Amino acid sequence: MDDEPADEREEASTDPPPDAPGDEEPPQRSLDADRSADDETRPTDPPSGADTPGDSEDAIEDDPGAYTTDVRTLDPRVRWLWVGRALVVALVLGGIATAATLALAPEWPWIGPAVFVLVAVLGAGHALLLYRSWSYEVREDSLLLDRGVITRVRTVVPYVRVQHIDTSRGPIERAAGLSSLVVYTAGSRGADVTIPGLRPWESTDLQTRLKALAIESEGEDAV
Amino acid sequence: MQLDPLSIPYRAVESGLQVVIGIAIAGIAGAGSVGGAEGLAVFGVILVVGIGLSLGWQVAYFRRFEYRLTEDTFDIDSGVLSRREREIPYGRIQNVDIRQNVLQRALGIAEVRLETAGGGQTEARLRYVDLESARHVQEEVSRRKRREHGEHVGDESAATERGETLFELDGRELVILGIVSMDLRLLSLIAVPLSFVGPSVLSDFAPTATASLAIVALGLVGLVVASALVSGGLSMARYYGFVLTDRDEEYRYERGLLQRFSGSIPKDKVQTITLSENVLARRLGYASLSIETAGYAGTGQGTTGSQSAIPIAKRDHAIELAGRIEDFDALSFERPPRRARERYAVRYALVLAVLLAIAYGIVRLTPLSFPWYVLLGGVVLVPVAAHLKWRHRGYRLEDGHVITRNGFWSRRITIVPIYRIQTLVTSETVFQRRRDLATLVVDTAGTYSLVGDDAMAVDIDLGEANRLRQELAEDLQESIVEYRRQRGRDSFSAPNEGVADETSVGSPGG
Repeated sequence: MDDEPADEREEASTDPPPDAPGDEEPPQRSLDADRSADDETRPTDPPSGADTPGDSEDAIEDDPGAYTTDVRTLDPRVRWLWVGRALVVALVLGGIATAATLALAPEWPWIGPAVFVLVAVLGAGHALLLYRSWSYEVREDSLLLDRGVITRVRTVVPYVRVQHIDTSRGPIERAAGLSSLVVYTAGSRGADVTIPGLRPWESTDLQTRLKALAIESEGEDAV
Repeated sequence: MQLDPLSIPYRAVESGLQVVIGIAIAGIAGAGSVGGAEGLAVFGVILVVGIGLSLGWQVAYFRRFEYRLTEDTFDIDSGVLSRREREIPYGRIQNVDIRQNVLQRALGIAEVRLETAGGGQTEARLRYVDLESARHVQEEVSRRKRREHGEHVGDESAATERGETLFELDGRELVILGIVSMDLRLLSLIAVPLSFVGPSVLSDFAPTATASLAIVALGLVGLVVASALVSGGLSMARYYGFVLTDRDEEYRYERGLLQRFSGSIPKDKVQTITLSENVLARRLGYASLSIETAGYAGTGQGTTGSQSAIPIAKRDHAIELAGRIEDFDALSFERPPRRARERYAVRYALVLAVLLAIAYGIVRLTPLSFPWYVLLGGVVLVPVAAHLKWRHRGYRLEDGHVITRNGFWSRRITIVPIYRIQTLVTSETVFQRRRDLATLVVDTAGTYSLVGDDAMAVDIDLGEANRLRQELAEDLQESIVEYRRQRGRDSFSAPNEGVADETSVGSPGG
């Protein structure tokens, strides 16, 4: 436990003053441009994924401003993931309803399919709206998440509070070419801070940015 | 150092009880299949072998368990089949508790629990050591922790060892505590089985309908009284002889009539403090105070009880003590806007409407008949309830603290030092959006927040919520810098040690 903070301090002490020039441009990408890019362009896409603080030669990289992003939205294909999930739920509920009607009230055979359609429409609608509501922003001193259809939730995670950052890819997410990022704090809502529906390179890039910002936020304090 | 040898028979009995029951069932099954005296012999053999095995296991456990207080870690080597060697740095220990139930007191042994912030459960338990060693561990851990902070630790002068008594529960307060903590939730526990048994018993004893109704009414009253007495008595026993002392770096408390309990709360690990007062306590002018650290896992009932700093005290006194722990200015609150009150009125009206519909449905569809329209009288209560709910909400933003207040039946005032904030969340439900309201949740690493009782400013204006969220996030940055600088000055610890201390409170459920 002694080594780690020492590392961070070292890193902090080699930092240039935070008002180094040219803070805005390099890693900021327009998301819409990314969106239109499909799988073929993926390997060429992650230029900003390379700006790990470790191998940064440029002074710009150590400036917190270099790691921030504008307000970003999720990858559109996460919609299909969510819609698919809603359909599975609808299928299960519809199946249960069908079985129940067959057993209890066979004179109303339409109830099962009706349940399926209803749940599917509601679920899919919710999934699409949820996708539209999602946005996140990596700011100078905190991560801001904004999402929610029925209940709109905005979460601020100050980098000083970040314990660790995971990227996770479940089997279905892998099949869809997606990945999610989980940011842990010591608070209870740690598990809530999950950004789903990121492209794999995007989530590793975010992880790098957040890591750098988290380290920096401590370095600055350890004066 | 090893556990107390008496822990072998105690643990054997304790863990053996379930085993013995299992053995007994197996034994009876075996005996049943053989039958007669032979069966009894089989049963006896199985029982003796089972107990022997259990005892043997405990002996092995005892022999393979060892703990050490080293220079900077608390080490425990344990495990019979799978060995575990655990080192806990003193600086990471949040609480050290000693607990003893009646039997353990008779035997002179005690359980020691060390809590850290990481993980979902108690970090280390010593089951069981003799009381003296337990005290020794508690003292040593806090002494070495102080030393780790770089403080000058003199010889154990009597003053620091005994500390200053902050609060002592006297007889009067104990009685009030009993009254205030009467809890009708126990009622449901008794009521459920009774509702199954009740009707059949009733039909046997009561010949007429009126007589049975009278019996039911009497029984209900009796139940309420009984459960109130039991719950009140339980908390009186729990907090009997409560003493809170202030030692340099930590608060120490002791309590309990049958089960003795002694715990430590390190001052620098305090996450939030909560002043709670239910309806009764408010009437009587009393309040209770609890201090939260990140140590206790959010599960289990022991947690809520064990963190109480002041089980009950005159409200002013409780507030004054709270002020000693956290230096806040005042407890005057800003209420949510009036339109929040309308929201509650609508909500209660809807609940009432649903109840009415159910009652009406029952009357129409079942042979049962009762004046369902009596429920209409509830309309009068709706605005009152809405007003009360609104009145008891509030929030307050100070330089170093954010304070929230919620709840009519059991009002909780939560004081959160800004440098303890973990995340900030605003949320708006559909219904809140209609009225431009929002809820601000101030999340900390404290235990209550793990079970979902965060500090919340509910139903405040949307713009205000967003403004508060941003402002608090900024204040957090500043206060962390300030806090660390101060700590760096106060104790001679390296600044980066302070950093590690602040941020490494672990993640829950890890």
